[in-house]
Amino acid sequence: MTTHKIWDPFVRVFHWSLAGLFAANALIVDDDSWIHEWIGYAVAALVGLRILWGVIGPRHARFAAFAPTPSDVTEQITDIATRRRRAHLGHTPLGALMIFNLLLTMLAICASGYMMTTDAFWGVEWVEEVHEALVTWAELSVIAHIAAVLYESHRTGINLPRAMVTGTKRVPDDIRVVE
Amino acid sequence: MTNPKRDTIPWLMGLIAVQSLCAAFFVWDVLGDMGPRGLRALSNLHIATEALAALALVAGIVFETRYLMRLLRRTAHLEEQVSIASGAFHEIILAHFEHWRLTPAESDVAMFALKGFSIAETARLRGSAEGTVKAQLNAVYRKAGVSGRGALLGLLVDDLLNGGVMDGPSATA
Repeated sequence: MTTHKIWDPFVRVFHWSLAGLFAANALIVDDDSWIHEWIGYAVAALVGLRILWGVIGPRHARFAAFAPTPSDVTEQITDIATRRRRAHLGHTPLGALMIFNLLLTMLAICASGYMMTTDAFWGVEWVEEVHEALVTWAELSVIAHIAAVLYESHRTGINLPRAMVTGTKRVPDDIRVVE
Repeated sequence: MTNPKRDTIPWLMGLIAVQSLCAAFFVWDVLGDMGPRGLRALSNLHIATEALAALALVAGIVFETRYLMRLLRRTAHLEEQVSIASGAFHEIILAHFEHWRLTPAESDVAMFALKGFSIAETARLRGSAEGTVKAQLNAVYRKAGVSGRGALLGLLVDDLLNGGVMDGPSATA
């Protein structure tokens, strides 16, 4: 068992606060309340900071370090198909795709939600429909994200949720490590 | 020089992704149409047809995903092999693997064994414990009815020289 320090404090705080704020707004908080709006602004600010961090942050936080090529994706699915175990120290290629999907969806939800507060789009039906459709999409993505994290943890023997809490990945000895 | 099958892999992955989106939308739509009546809503011809179409799409995605995984397993060992002879040998090997009903992991281990990798090397390449590889190799030999690696290779080479593929599943899928 080797340990690798992977996730910096900002990435971890970002992950869990985004998860908490999104869950609060999607499931708990009343849609018409001022709290819903302010949570939306907080999400926008968080995602904005994460994008900045993706450019100037440490190695494993940078988009350039984990943006996958098609062949990266093919290799990961080949690992799954052949039951080979390789550990990516940073984000896996498929995981990276989910990150981009979630970041963009969050921004689009924030944008459409903000539009609903403006004079120009207040009460406009399609804006509200887009906002709700995007939230449904985000919810499905979150379910897929959690399922994939559990599957990958099981497949590679690395406890990924734990790593997102402690910042440290504990990698089994016999697994192949890439990067 | 490139394997035409391999070129289709990114397209296939994209197709599966797009179809999954469509399927998610249609399933969601059908569930919405069914509403509080639940399964009894299927007595409505329109809703029943929609549900059937959505199910067919899901079945298609499952089939395509299985095909993709198979394709990836097939190409996993073809990286440096471009000659017709090695391609044909590869087909024969895979046909036997399917006939013996090797699991994906056993097929992979068996392929490494045929290529001459030691158990330690195979374990390192696959990211698994040596004991696991040993157990998988033993399963391969048992399923193939041979005593060891040499006999396994002999059996396959024999088939290649005889020019035929055994009466198992087709090798040209």
